[in-house]
Amino acid sequence: MKRGLIACALLVLSASSYAAMPPSAALCGSCHGSQGQGVDPLGPRLAGLSSDYIAKQIKLFQTGKRQNATMQPMSMTLQGDAVYAVADYFSSFDVPIVTPHLRGEKAVYEDPTEQLVYQGDWQRVIPACVTCHGPSGLGVGEFPRLAGQQASYIKNQLMAWQKDTRSGDQDGVMGAIADKLTSAEIDALSKYFAELK
Amino acid sequence: MKVSHLSWLIISLSPSLLVQAEELPDKQTELVAKVKQVGQAYLVPRDLSSIPQGEFGDKVRLGYQLFVNSQQMRDSYVGNNLNCSNCHMDAGRHANAAPLWAAYFAYPAYRKKNDKVNSYEERLQGCFTYSMNGTPPASGSKELVALSAYSYWLGMSGLMDQAGITTAVAELSDSDLIKGGKREDMLLPEAVKTAMTQPERAALPGKGFPKIAAPKLAYSPKRGSEVYQAHCQSCHGADGQGYESAGVYSLPPLWGPQSFNWGAGMHRVNTAAYFIYENMPFSKSVQLSNQQAWDVAAYINAQERPQDPRFTGDIKQLKDKYHKHQGYYGVSVDGKPELGSKAYGNNPKRSD
Ligand code: HEC
Ligand code: HEC
Ligand code: HEC
Ligand code: HEC
Repeated sequence: MKRGLIACALLVLSASSYAAMPPSAALCGSCHGSQGQGVDPLGPRLAGLSSDYIAKQIKLFQTGKRQNATMQPMSMTLQGDAVYAVADYFSSFDVPIVTPHLRGEKAVYEDPTEQLVYQGDWQRVIPACVTCHGPSGLGVGEFPRLAGQQASYIKNQLMAWQKDTRSGDQDGVMGAIADKLTSAEIDALSKYFAELK
Repeated sequence: MKVSHLSWLIISLSPSLLVQAEELPDKQTELVAKVKQVGQAYLVPRDLSSIPQGEFGDKVRLGYQLFVNSQQMRDSYVGNNLNCSNCHMDAGRHANAAPLWAAYFAYPAYRKKNDKVNSYEERLQGCFTYSMNGTPPASGSKELVALSAYSYWLGMSGLMDQAGITTAVAELSDSDLIKGGKREDMLLPEAVKTAMTQPERAALPGKGFPKIAAPKLAYSPKRGSEVYQAHCQSCHGADGQGYESAGVYSLPPLWGPQSFNWGAGMHRVNTAAYFIYENMPFSKSVQLSNQQAWDVAAYINAQERPQDPRFTGDIKQLKDKYHKHQGYYGVSVDGKPELGSKAYGNNPKRSD
C-alpha cells in the first residue's frame, strides 16, 4: 500500500484548504497544540501520526489499555465519529521534512544508539527500530513516527510498557521490545529520535 | 525423463523461443532442512566494526550494504521491492534464517541431478533471478564478489574466533571468493581445519530454516487467512503488499507484482512454513503453532505473484517439470483460475 503517497496527497489537500478544526478538537489544543504540534511537556506531538494510529490510541485510552491520568478523561470526551474527525484533523498537519537515513547506508555505526536504531541487537532479538518505524523513524501506518517526537514522551512510553501501563499493541509487539531495553538505552534512544528533525 | 527431453526438443525447434533454449538452471534447490536442537550454540561472526580498512574490507562492507539495501540495484538486477535481508534476518547473520556464514562453507555444491557443480556466486545469482525477480549480475561482477566477500568474512571470522585465532581474516582473490568455501584448496588456518571436517563446516548448526513437523491437518489457505488477519496483516497489509515509508518497503510485500516469483524457494509451502514458524511475526512477541505456520504459509503462497522465469508458455509443462513439491503453481484455489495463469511480469522496471 502506498501509504506515503496517499498521506502526501492528503497533506497537499489540507494545506490548501486549511483543515477546519472539528469542535471536539478544541479541547485538545491546550496540551497538543492547535495544529497538533505538541506542547512539551504537557502533551506529545500528534501531527505526523497516521489517522488510523491516533484513532486506535484514543480507543486504547478509553478502554484503559493505555493508562494515563490526564489523557484518559480527555479520551472520554470523544464518542462515535468524533474520534475519527479529530484523528483526521491532527494527522493532516505537516511535520518538518527529515532526510531519511536508510538501513544499509552504512555498515558500521560507532554510536551504540545508532546501531540499535539502524541494525538492532539480534542477540537479544531486538530488530532495528527503523524496520517497523520506517527509515529514520518517519513512521508508516500503525507504526508511529518517532523522529522529532518529544524525548520525555518517548521515554515515558517505553517505561509505560515496562510497567505494564501501556498495552494494546498487536500481539504485544512493541511491549516485548521495550521490555528488553535498559534504562540507559531508553534515555539515549529517546534523545536520539527527539533530535531527528 | 522422456517428457523433459521432448519438451527440450520442442523448445529448441521453435525459433521464437531460441533465446530460452538454453534452460535457466535451477539455482534455488531446496536445502536439506533439519530440526532445530534445543540449547544449540551457533557460530557468532565478528562485529562489523572489525572489518579491516582497505580494498578487501571495502568489498565486505559493500556486500553488507547490497544485502541490506538491495534496492540500490533496482532496475539493474533487482525487479521487486524486496531486500535480501527481508528473508535473511539481521543482514544474513541470524541463525535459522538461512545465515550467510553457514551458506558460504556449503559451496561449491555438487548436485546429483544434472551432475553440475554450483558455485557460491551461482547460488547468489539464483536469488536475484527468483527471490528478487530480477536479472542476476554477471559472473565475477563487483556485486557478486562483494556479496561473496561479506559471506566469507562473516563465516571465517566466526570459525576463527571459535578456534581461538584472533588475527585478521585472510584476504582472498575475487576469483576464489565467488567459488565458495567448500573446496579442497580453500585457505584455512590450521586450527580451523582441525576443529571441524569439511562436511561439518558445510552443515553448521543454524543453517537454512529449521524443519518443523508436518501439520496434523492438511494445510489450508482458508484457515491460513484467519491466521493472516490476526497476526500478519498489521505489518504486511490486508492486501499483502506491505507498507512503504520514504520510498522503502521496510514492511515487505508477500505476494503480488513486487514480491518474490513462482520460482523462488519461499513459494514452496514447506519452506515458507519453516521460515514463518521460526521468524514471524517479526520480532517474535508470539509463537505461532505448527498448524498456524503451515496454514498461513499456504495462504500467502496461494496468491498470484510474478511468473516463474523458466516459463515458456505452458503452465502444466512447467508444473510437471519444476513444481513437484508443496506449492500452488498451476493449481486452482477456490474455483479461481489456476495460479500462474495471471502471473505478473519478470524483472519489471520500478516505474512499470
Ligand atoms: C491536559 C492535557 C491534555 C489534553 C487536554 C489532551 N491530551 Fe492527549 N495526551 C496528553 C498526555 C500527557 C499524553 C501522553 C499520555 C501518556 O504518556 O500515555 C497524551 C497522549 C495523547 C495521544 C497519544 C499519542 C501517541 O503518540 O500515541 C493521543 C492520540 C492524544 N493524546 C489525543 C488527544 C485528543 C484527541 C485530545 C482532545 C480530545 C487530547 N489528547 C487532549 C495530554 C492531553
Ligand atoms: C517489530 C516492529 C517494531 C520494532 C522493531 C520497533 N517498534 Fe516501536 N512500535 C511498534 C508498534 C506496532 C507501535 C505502536 C503500538 C500501538 O499501536 O500501540 C510502536 C510504538 C512505539 C512507541 C510509542 C510512540 C508513540 O507515539 O506513542 C515508541 C516510543 C517506540 N515504538 C519506540 C521504538 C524503539 C526505540 C524501537 C527500537 C529499539 C522500536 N520502537 C522498535 C513496533 C515496533
Ligand atoms: C523472499 C525471501 C528471500 C529473499 C528476498 C532472498 N532470499 Fe536467499 N534464500 C531464501 C530461501 C527461502 C532460501 C533457501 C531455502 C531452502 O531451500 O530451504 C535462500 C537461500 C539463500 C542462500 C543459500 C543458503 C544456504 O544455506 O545454502 C543464499 C546464499 C542466499 N539465499 C542469498 C540471498 C541473497 C544474496 C539475496 C538478495 C540478492 C537473497 N538471498 C534474497 C529466501 C530469500
Ligand atoms: C511486526 C510486524 C510484522 C508482523 C506482525 C509479521 N511480519 Fe513478516 N515481516 C516483517 C518484516 C519487517 C519483514 C522483513 C524483515 C527485515 O527486513 O528485517 C518481514 C518478512 C516476512 C517475509 C519474507 C519477506 C517477503 O516479503 O516475503 C514473509 C514471508 C513474512 N514476513 C510473512 C509473515 C507472516 C506469514 C506473518 C504472520 C504470521 C508475518 N510475516 C507477520 C514484519 C512483520
